[in-house]
Amino acid sequence: MTFADLLLQQTINGLSLGAMYSLLALGFTLVYGILELINFSHFNVFMIGSFVALWTLQMFGLSGQEIILAGLPLAGVLLVGFAVTMVFCGGLGVVIERVTLRPLRNVKGPAAMITSIGVSYILFNVVLLTVGADSKNFPNPLPAIRYHIGGATLDFRVILIWIIASLLMGGLYLFVQRSRLGKAMRATAQDPEAARMMGVDVDKVVIIAFFLGSALAGAGGMIFGLYYNFTSFIIGFTAGLRAFTAAVLGGIGNVPGAMVGGVLIGLIEAMGGQFIATAWTDVIIFSILVLVLVFKPTGLFGRLAPTRS
Amino acid sequence: MANGATAATALSFLARPIARIPEARRGQVGIALLTIAAVAFPIFIDSNDADVDSMANAAAYATLALGLNIVVGFAGLLDLGYAAFFAIGAYTYGILTAYQLQPPWSSFWDVFQFLGLATPVPADIGDGMVVHFTLSFWLALPLAAALAAGFGVLFGAPTLRLRGDYLAIVTLGFGEIVPIVVRNWSDLTNGAAGLNGVAAPKLFGWSFGVNSVPYYYVAIIMVAMLIFISIRLRDSRIGRAWMAIREDEIAAAAMGVDRTKFKLLAFAIGAAFAGMTGVFYVAKLQTATPEMFGFPVSVMILVMVVFGGIGSVWGVVLGAFILQLLQSWWLQDLTQWTHALGRVTGSTLLLKADFVQSIELIFGIILVVMMLFRRQGLIPATRPQAALSFEQQHAEIQRGGFTGLKLQGLGGAVRTGAVALEIKGVTVRFGGLTALNDVEITVPNGGVVAVIGPNGSGKSTLFNVITGLVDAEAGSIRFHGEEVIGLPPHEILMKGIARTFQNLRLFPNLTVMENALIGQHARLTTGVLRAILRPPRTRAEEVKAREWAMEVFAIFGNRLTPRVGQMVSGLSYANRRRIEIARALASRPRILLLDEPTAGMNPAETLELAEQIKSLNELGLTVLLIEHKLDVVTTLADMVYVLDHGDVIAKGTPSEVRRDEEVLRAYLGRNAQSAAAGMTDVA
Repeated sequence: MTFADLLLQQTINGLSLGAMYSLLALGFTLVYGILELINFSHFNVFMIGSFVALWTLQMFGLSGQEIILAGLPLAGVLLVGFAVTMVFCGGLGVVIERVTLRPLRNVKGPAAMITSIGVSYILFNVVLLTVGADSKNFPNPLPAIRYHIGGATLDFRVILIWIIASLLMGGLYLFVQRSRLGKAMRATAQDPEAARMMGVDVDKVVIIAFFLGSALAGAGGMIFGLYYNFTSFIIGFTAGLRAFTAAVLGGIGNVPGAMVGGVLIGLIEAMGGQFIATAWTDVIIFSILVLVLVFKPTGLFGRLAPTRS
Repeated sequence: MANGATAATALSFLARPIARIPEARRGQVGIALLTIAAVAFPIFIDSNDADVDSMANAAAYATLALGLNIVVGFAGLLDLGYAAFFAIGAYTYGILTAYQLQPPWSSFWDVFQFLGLATPVPADIGDGMVVHFTLSFWLALPLAAALAAGFGVLFGAPTLRLRGDYLAIVTLGFGEIVPIVVRNWSDLTNGAAGLNGVAAPKLFGWSFGVNSVPYYYVAIIMVAMLIFISIRLRDSRIGRAWMAIREDEIAAAAMGVDRTKFKLLAFAIGAAFAGMTGVFYVAKLQTATPEMFGFPVSVMILVMVVFGGIGSVWGVVLGAFILQLLQSWWLQDLTQWTHALGRVTGSTLLLKADFVQSIELIFGIILVVMMLFRRQGLIPATRPQAALSFEQQHAEIQRGGFTGLKLQGLGGAVRTGAVALEIKGVTVRFGGLTALNDVEITVPNGGVVAVIGPNGSGKSTLFNVITGLVDAEAGSIRFHGEEVIGLPPHEILMKGIARTFQNLRLFPNLTVMENALIGQHARLTTGVLRAILRPPRTRAEEVKAREWAMEVFAIFGNRLTPRVGQMVSGLSYANRRRIEIARALASRPRILLLDEPTAGMNPAETLELAEQIKSLNELGLTVLLIEHKLDVVTTLADMVYVLDHGDVIAKGTPSEVRRDEEVLRAYLGRNAQSAAAGMTDVA
């Protein structure tokens, strides 16, 4: 492959990874925007999403790479897969908020963050102890259609991932910008106290933020499975940290920022893997995180400054 | 219930001897008993080396927990990558004793050989000689501590400006990067395979080898030393500065604490503890791999701190021991018993159970349960204070006694005609909003100047810009001729400008005395070494600081003096206002900036405080006052400035300002004339 082909190929790969990171980053940004909490449990809600998707697809008799679907059956299976995964993860997010985080909402200091680390650890280990440490094959029912652009390959599955992620993110954007609840959400993010006084039910807004964020993380988990054809208890940590970096890069609390940030991190990962070394990917991404926080704390698109006033 | 009652009966025979020990001595007796138990432990366990080994590991984790406690517990900085410093210490010793790094031998290395740090050995390939590093374990301990502290500063410096939650994620990032670097820098670290053949410690030529007992004693000595250091630091100027940052960073800065310096100090000292422990840990295992220092280790140490009690020295030690022994003793026993039960009952489920693997699940549950139900941990860092007695609570209020206050610490020359504070052309903008516009205010030395104005007129912003909490866009503020714009808040306090806040910014979980001692931070000189060694000079300084605090409290009669040991959060609003003034006075200011000092006080309390401020001024203290109650302004101020929408719209004596048309308009709107009669009430 020529250099241009490599560049194109890694752009395609990066955009696919980016779609996944964007979905995951949205959850961080929604919750942080309202509660100013880094929700570490989000890491493993994503991981659980990939398992729920796996089990849902298995219920359709899909396993491994043998069964290929097309047309309406494929659309149906994917629709049910995404729906079940997203509803399950959304519900899980709501339970986490309701049971472990709401009692600590007005506690000063790192208590809520420490709790979310604890919850993340519990989710991680429950999956490890029940499912086991070995990685699981994720069914791939998508037809192996490939388009060739120069020396680069564009997979049908990649196109599908782009379409699904775009639909989900577009839907979320419209919800936040247009709907009554979305407006309440933005108002709460700006000033919870004022929003409460104007009659916004802040508890409801927080629940919705957790539901939507976790549902999108679940969708991200299913996309992970479809893209990599495997899943494992361990996938939440790395993906979660990269997605968090994406949220910071885009300006934490900023919904479109998280989407763009995710795509940028995906591209950086793909290019870094190609042109530097995969082993250093995390070092590169963390360096970006630190540099952004130090030099442009409001991220590329700005909203909340992570420095003290 | 029955068990509890039996235990209580069993323990009741202890109650009498304990009661016979004087209260002040109980701590010492406890420590003596603990020491005896720790020293005797391997002797009683003699044959079972594995148990001693478990205890040595537990002690190593206790030292890590003590280090993290300084960062998280004392300074309130959540560090999720603490294991990185553990790794740095471990690899420092590992690389400098294993057969990993072997540069060719040359005369350059002779001096190292002479110092016992290197020896020539035959090369594996070819027939030349190569260097084998032989760093002594005992030398490695301080070296690794210093190196880890250096990395602590390096990692901390760019990130400490960030809010606590971001600091957590950035430290997590560093915690991930260090093992990645170790894994990929194979020449130095042998990569994922790990360092092998790390030398065991030697004492007078005798190698520890793989015998657990000497390691156990080294670990116990380290724990004892670090407990001592932690307690000494906690109860010193250093510890108070950390706790002030933890409680309220802005107030800490305004009270003279250099935030960056003390946060970095906490990071460095915490890292040093971890670096030392790293040396011990690899020397004991005689191997080091990147996996030994990942995120799970950082979380485990955090769990120990949370479980034992964030900020509690004995708590985190207990937490570390319990969790480490849970892992290496109790869960294994439980697994074995369950397997035995499984064999008896023939249940395969019980036979397959392995509780040791569920340790991380237990860690997660501990984090959640402790945060939800017992945030102070097993041994809380602060014990509830005894309430005041009935007599103390109902004692007749005494007005402040000024006869006893030696005010040489306060103020400068009284009314020399010199200018104390000169504010010229100061402009502050927040985005599009001009909070202060070309403000000019002069405060004569020894005078009382009041700033009044409607809400949102820029009064508090004025104080913030004088004390360095807000940046000015233009203008100059000179204090006794020295420019203070551009100085950080703590340096401004050092020059003698102290303030109070409109919405009280005390350190709520510290005592009244501690609040006043933090006020004196800038006037005390104890550093880390003096805090640990506590020489006579430091003891004397502490005694004097407490005496001065009591003198300041005496201004408020018997309002504060009986309550010095109480937590600020439990006191009345008026008393908290008084404490904030006392805290500012404790810093021995030359000018005192009071932001609505009588807000929320009833008329009698207001009058009392106004008199006290008057007396302070008569003793030489210059005062700049923001106040809404015009009778207070009239009684106290020589000069009044009126702010409106960031502009000074009037200045003059209180009576002049009262008659000013523009002032009336700003306060009362259009019908100023007719409403003028009601001015005193409204303002």
